[in-house]
Amino acid sequence: MTAVTGETPLQEAPAAATPAAATTTAATTTVDPPPQDPPLQGSGLLGQPLDSREDPQLLRGEAVYVADIDLPGTAHMAILGSPVAHAKILSIETKAAEQLPGVLKVATAADFTDVMPLPCIWIPGGVESHFPPHPYGLPGARPVLTGDTVRHVGDPIAVVVAETPRQAAAALAAIAVEYEPLPVVTRADAALAEGAPQLHEAVPGNLNAYWTCGDKDRTDAAIAEAEVTVELDLVNQRTINSPIEPRGAVGDYNAATGEYTLYASTQGPHNHRFLLSALVLGIPFNKLRVVAPTVGGSFGTKGYLYPDMPLVLLLSKALGRPVKWVDTRTGLMNSTVQGRDHRQHVVLAGTRDGRITAVRATSYANLGAYPSTIGPGVATALMGRSISGMYDIDAAFCEVYAAFTNTVSLGAQRGSGRAEAAFLMERLVDRYAGEIGMDPAAVRRKNLVPKEKFPYDNGLGWTYDSGDYQLNFDRAMELSQYVEMPARKAEARARGKRLGVGIASYVAICGVGPSTRMSKEGMLGGTWESANIRVHPTGEVTVTVGSASTGQSHGTVFAQVAADELGIDPAQVQVYEGDTQKAPYGQGTYGSRSYSMAAPAIALTARKIKAKLVKAGAVFLGVPEDKVVYEGGKVHEEGNEENAKTFAELAMAMWYGWGLPPEIEPALDETTHFDPPDFNYPFGTHVAVVEIDELTGETEVVAYTAVDDAGNIGNPKIVLGQIEGSILHGLGQALMEHAEYDEDGLLVSRDLNHYALPRAADAPFYTLGKTTTPSPHNPLGAKGAGEIATVPPAAAVVNAVVDALSDLGVLHIDMPVTPEKVWRRLRGESQ
Amino acid sequence: MNGRPERFSAQPNELLVERLRDGLALTGTKVGCDTGQCGSCVVRLDGRSVKSCLILTVAAAGSEVATIEGVTTPGGELTGLQEALRQEHGTQCGFCTPGMVMALGELVDNTAEREAPTEPEIREWLTGNLCRCTGYHSVVRGVQRACSAARGEASAEHADAAVSGQEG
Repeated sequence: MTAVTGETPLQEAPAAATPAAATTTAATTTVDPPPQDPPLQGSGLLGQPLDSREDPQLLRGEAVYVADIDLPGTAHMAILGSPVAHAKILSIETKAAEQLPGVLKVATAADFTDVMPLPCIWIPGGVESHFPPHPYGLPGARPVLTGDTVRHVGDPIAVVVAETPRQAAAALAAIAVEYEPLPVVTRADAALAEGAPQLHEAVPGNLNAYWTCGDKDRTDAAIAEAEVTVELDLVNQRTINSPIEPRGAVGDYNAATGEYTLYASTQGPHNHRFLLSALVLGIPFNKLRVVAPTVGGSFGTKGYLYPDMPLVLLLSKALGRPVKWVDTRTGLMNSTVQGRDHRQHVVLAGTRDGRITAVRATSYANLGAYPSTIGPGVATALMGRSISGMYDIDAAFCEVYAAFTNTVSLGAQRGSGRAEAAFLMERLVDRYAGEIGMDPAAVRRKNLVPKEKFPYDNGLGWTYDSGDYQLNFDRAMELSQYVEMPARKAEARARGKRLGVGIASYVAICGVGPSTRMSKEGMLGGTWESANIRVHPTGEVTVTVGSASTGQSHGTVFAQVAADELGIDPAQVQVYEGDTQKAPYGQGTYGSRSYSMAAPAIALTARKIKAKLVKAGAVFLGVPEDKVVYEGGKVHEEGNEENAKTFAELAMAMWYGWGLPPEIEPALDETTHFDPPDFNYPFGTHVAVVEIDELTGETEVVAYTAVDDAGNIGNPKIVLGQIEGSILHGLGQALMEHAEYDEDGLLVSRDLNHYALPRAADAPFYTLGKTTTPSPHNPLGAKGAGEIATVPPAAAVVNAVVDALSDLGVLHIDMPVTPEKVWRRLRGESQ
Repeated sequence: MNGRPERFSAQPNELLVERLRDGLALTGTKVGCDTGQCGSCVVRLDGRSVKSCLILTVAAAGSEVATIEGVTTPGGELTGLQEALRQEHGTQCGFCTPGMVMALGELVDNTAEREAPTEPEIREWLTGNLCRCTGYHSVVRGVQRACSAARGEASAEHADAAVSGQEG
């Protein structure tokens, strides 16, 4: 590593803060006490690490997931996916399958001609986009079943419904399909080349969209005039989110009422209800109920529309029985949206003394065979507008070519878009630091957006709300004992290991979102969130929200929010969500938005309840309204705490409604729809320390420091778990995960024998810290938290690996950083 | 089965997990991967933890099978391991959790008579169970806490660790 230059304050950082254990490998996480926290709000419940109330039933195996739902008379559906990546279907013969034992129905695309295709609702804003068509003039997406052409392995062709899952699966083998093979393309850049195989008639040259952000002329000029420029060609490989629960769906049509019920592993039941009823099935909105039972992880993938959802509903109606479908792992890997997948050429310009003057990225994004529900937006805006990260850069520009290929559709993945952006920027910063011979930490420190510049327009479309990036960065340097690294390198060298250090900082857009702003990004729909609070006559409280947990302990945290604001015991509060018939409208859980969107809706609703109780309190206490104080879960007369009514007394009084003047409605039942003024922007800095074995090329992450800032945190115990898991997810991409397609478009990594996920022994020691900068864009000062720590680890680890190999002239190494790749570089082979 | 005799006929190719979930309605045991990789289907067979998607029902004939439903009564008191995992929030979406409880139960049960497992040993033991949510740290802390409790130690050390963990 090059010497720390004079400008950095790092040498002044106190080194005593980190426990000695940070130098060991396998140990549990340590967490430092926060250096400075703002005062908590409400009654002080927020910020407390309450135990998750969901945990006991999960630990007893009592929680009901989709696969556990067993309605009387249920029949079982299996889906025939294409075994080839690109072909014309010449014929489908289903007679043999129909005659097998237990088979109730075999259906193909010909059975669903009146069903609309599954729409895409996030097209890149402001550009011409090409899509397969949808009858409503919407950017349509995939058909429910494919009738003429298959476009990826797993493309659904036919379904069987049988008495048992085994009978349904067995019957798939008896369906004879004749294919005429077509040429295959699996890379975005190759799909845009002259003469490439064409996927959709409506999409000339496979180009879904050419999207840009930032100022091209200014950026090009800055690059042309720069003292120093560095360039990198990067592959952000395709990965698979891999929630441990595969997806599932149960359709139940009630012929007596004409109502459909869908139970599905969804993170957005309301959104699925809207899209399925209005835009796919063409049935009245109020005839479809969507229920999300316990959902076994999602990380973005379960917010999408999939063909199985309309299929179980339509087949339930056709057969007069509930129809259930549960995916296999291989099925998941060949059908559930995959993530990342950009090929990029990126350029950074700067001065000889470390001032970044411009950044430019050209990215080829692989959308897969069909536009998924929001995939095109993820691949463009979510990535492109984020590329400048934590830095104050005068000129920035990003262009994305979003292309269709013969692979599974692209979608979100924990940290989606933002992780891809952080990867390219943080690799560039290290490359630049190497070029000018400056410490990578010093370069970063020099370019951080200064505190006094907030709100900060990053020139790419985002306006950062708040932050103290210097404090956060210095905390990470201090906790990671960054100044000790040269000594640690020498010590590792003596053991025959190469030690490398990698830093990655990030800003993650969260809190989606301001609906009007999202409409300008091309989102077809509102992105607000809502909450209802109903106070029962006995003083217990029910909170319902439109959000839907996929493992984030909403029942615990949202009760905490309501109880905090109302000044009552959280045990009095019950939270319900996930059932469109019971919960107020909302858009669901994605993009780390629940705590900064649904929780503010709860707090604002609680404030309405309190305001009403102050009005009513004036009547009950016999004093003017301006003399009524709501405090500690009761109202009392100002200066006279004897003249008071408790929350329970008020609840009962409001239930009776006796003596209320006409301007005060009886009962306590309030709803808020929260649409924030702007997004929120959590941020952080991570430091990875790796050791590379010279003999085997194996990379071990020997220490990992993360200092994240998610604004005010509601329940630190819950957030701690999300941060710990998120980091490992990011490390997985850096070191082992890869959705690999062969030249025929076959997904090689089709199951967990062929796709590596991090296991317990792969998790390194973490040193975690935090800073706290409240967001001004919601009443809780909250920022997104759930997935933010997935954003920087891949960049931090690859930076560390390149650092460890830098004396060999290695400037970049593609993910996943497998032992073989490193071994070859150690022996002088090029990438 | 969970201490109760069960008599039934099974097809030769029936997997134990199918019998548990579809035949006996013991749905606490989960199916995550079909290939023996994820560990969500772990049950105890004569006291040893096994992946029930990798064993035929007929091969379990005459054995004692324990599933997550046999560990506690509905809504009842948690075992030491479950309680420790609850305190450390060693679960998020919970799908892998029953399999983890069954696999880790064997480790914790055996800890009273010998030295407490080290952290690398706990991680090694957990290698058969995949979790995508937690990053495993909270699970490891939970096992450490449970082992301490099982060995009758004052768990002050881990209680301290838990408190600092809450600052995250």
